[in-house]
Amino acid sequence: MAPQKNNEVRSALEKVWLNSRPEALGRVAALERFAENLRSGTPDRPSWESALSAAHRLSGSLGMFGFNDASSCAEKIEALLGDGPTPDPATMLSLVERLRMLLEETPESSGKPEKHDS
Amino acid sequence: MPKTLLVIDDDVDIREVAKTSLELVGGFTVIGAESGIRGVAVAQNAKPDAIILDLMMPDLDGQQTLAQLKLLPETASIPVIMLTAKVQANKQELVSKGAAGVLVKPFDPMQLPDQVCEILGWSVARKDVCRNGSAKE
Repeated sequence: MAPQKNNEVRSALEKVWLNSRPEALGRVAALERFAENLRSGTPDRPSWESALSAAHRLSGSLGMFGFNDASSCAEKIEALLGDGPTPDPATMLSLVERLRMLLEETPESSGKPEKHDS
Repeated sequence: MPKTLLVIDDDVDIREVAKTSLELVGGFTVIGAESGIRGVAVAQNAKPDAIILDLMMPDLDGQQTLAQLKLLPETASIPVIMLTAKVQANKQELVSKGAAGVLVKPFDPMQLPDQVCEILGWSVARKDVCRNGSAKE
């Protein structure tokens, strides 16, 4: 792909990310609340379902914006939550903290031109 | 005429990124639908060249939507690519139910058009033609 086209695509994807970032951070916040509730007691089923949905959406979307490690981390959280509504609190909290940290890093750029020049 | 793809996903981010990728990188025309019910209706009217369908959606999920698409005469022959998270992927089961193939989320926006072409049998040798949309299989 020509560099100009590549830049056009990257710019368009950055715009999508800027629009969706608040919602993604809201999903992380939902996971943080769930992890805190888990530590202080047993969360109810709706909050578990909400956390599972948040993890699923994050694992499926963050990688598209270059947050590959954050996407993998969200996938681990999804798998942990998928085992049941009362995962190990320490593991949950640790993963959610890592997810927050990874999202605050600069995303890896996707679409390296040298891969697509053919 | 560029080929038209219908992307059915309840997640607006996925629809937006897929549209950006498939239009800017792949040269396709992309239409979107936010639910399985809406997607079936859009597919009946627009008759896209292919459909990309999310597996996990509220109400009518991906498998139910796929079943409806395969039952309707207007949409039965349209190839459907299922879009699913790694932890859910069961390619063989989905293909046995009529899916043309499976794409795993998260996808790389720069690679998505190539992956679509590969699944749909729009061969590597014809990929540029596929991208330009001037060849209809």
